[in-house]
Amino acid sequence: MGQDSLEIAINCIKLVAIFLLMVQAVPVLVWLERRGSAFIQNRFGPNRVGPLGLLQLLADAVKFLFKEEFIPAKGIKLLYYAAPVTALIPATLAFCAIPIGHPIQVEAFELFGSTWGPYTFLFQGYEINVGIVFILGVSSLAAYTLLMAGWGSGNKYSLLGALRASSQIISYELALGLAIVGVILFFGTFNLSEMIRLQQGPLQFQAFGHQLGVSWLPNWGIFYQPLGAILFFAAAFAEANRLPFDLPEGEAELVAGFHVEYGGFKMLLFFIGEYGHMMVASGLMVTFFFGGYHIPLVAPQDVYQAILMTVHSPTLASVLNGFLHHLVFLLKFAVFLWIFIQVRWTLPRFRYDQLMDLGWKTMLPWALFNTILTATVILVLRAS
Amino acid sequence: MTADVFLFWFLALVTVLSAILVITQANPIFSALALAMTMVGVAALFASLEAYFLAGVQLIVYAGAVMVLFVMVLMLFDLHHELRAFSRGVLAGAVKLATVGLFAGLIVGGIIMTKPQSLPVLEKAAISSDNTAALGQLLFSHYLFGFEALGVLLLIVAVGAVALSRSKGGTHAG
Repeated sequence: MGQDSLEIAINCIKLVAIFLLMVQAVPVLVWLERRGSAFIQNRFGPNRVGPLGLLQLLADAVKFLFKEEFIPAKGIKLLYYAAPVTALIPATLAFCAIPIGHPIQVEAFELFGSTWGPYTFLFQGYEINVGIVFILGVSSLAAYTLLMAGWGSGNKYSLLGALRASSQIISYELALGLAIVGVILFFGTFNLSEMIRLQQGPLQFQAFGHQLGVSWLPNWGIFYQPLGAILFFAAAFAEANRLPFDLPEGEAELVAGFHVEYGGFKMLLFFIGEYGHMMVASGLMVTFFFGGYHIPLVAPQDVYQAILMTVHSPTLASVLNGFLHHLVFLLKFAVFLWIFIQVRWTLPRFRYDQLMDLGWKTMLPWALFNTILTATVILVLRAS
Repeated sequence: MTADVFLFWFLALVTVLSAILVITQANPIFSALALAMTMVGVAALFASLEAYFLAGVQLIVYAGAVMVLFVMVLMLFDLHHELRAFSRGVLAGAVKLATVGLFAGLIVGGIIMTKPQSLPVLEKAAISSDNTAALGQLLFSHYLFGFEALGVLLLIVAVGAVALSRSKGGTHAG
């Protein structure tokens, strides 16, 4: 947590801020999704309330809050209420472990008659040494929410949706986990900050004792693990229950899947959970394969020095440096969120047997192949 | 009371309470959900002991995969019969009594047979947070045979399960 009360306080505020960042991004994403789908389908979309229809979501939030409370007669009350409450937890815990900006160094300073610091604040909710394992573990708990919602509603459509969702999540978790084993092997660490640090600067790697490099390409994971990146991103769609893998809520067959019986704010919580999974997937994509918060080809120390030349205060320069890198992260992050939305409104839905075949017979063998290939190549190239 | 002690007692309480719920709930689904909660509690206890890798694996394997499958399969059944069978009747009562007896016996035995001795306190450096690599080294050098044997055993189980489900009467019979 921290050494003294100030550090503990700031770390707590940081946690809340990152949670709010995540929740506040949801209305923007919903707006983007509705306007984006309208753009793709040659419609207008919501454009009446406020400039560009941006205030539509505020109106929707009010509507969600004032909807009638409703409990299905044959449902189980405890599970029915517990499901939407727990829907947010896995995505939030996972997102807080992703580094979203360069760490900020604060020099020692005088305040209230005593000396504070120096401090180093990480630009993330909390740092965990085995960040990848933690994120995979926490996100795998998302299946319970869906099962509780589906079974607690006492509705056959809900139950079928929940069963589809959880079997899909379990199946694709294997491909997802194996797809990043290559990344872990290559960088040799489970730590996300360490992984990002290894991706700074131009592309360079060791081969047979020689140092090889390409000066105009950033040192990103995607150039070493292209297959892993594709498999990871595809499996992330299935984990987030997004189209083309949104069988759990296939409208034509299951009305709305596991949340048929939910309305108002409870339904909104499931919604935020789904977007949360999307954000975790995008954040991990950026972290593993696109250099995290680093500006391509530029080392953060150089940026820090450049800022220090103008502002002449190490603490202020560090803060500005942190936020600048945070903006870079957000930019990369937004690109992946946009791809998520674009894919949803472009591709048709799979059939359920096709979904299972893709997961078990295509993606899993390719992920295994990627793991073995990476291990072999690393063993051969790094042998001296 | 320091934060660590508070954390330990809180997690221990949650874990033990949900473990008790597993055996006292008549509805198998609630039992399974409570068992999942127990797994999460154990994972959190691992994490509080700085065994982060074990905590993560506990979450992924037990809470995230095994228990989800349990809950999923249970939800497919009509549980009225089980609910009645487990909530009253001579047999259920006898099983419950036997379970309570075994449990009490274990606790009493544990208390009596434990010699009052203090375990050596490890240095902080010996259990540094980067113990994942050390764990891997141990698994693939010292405990290699056990590790591989378990892998083969699991493979046999998986093949057996597929063979059983595909034989006459299985879901994919044909």
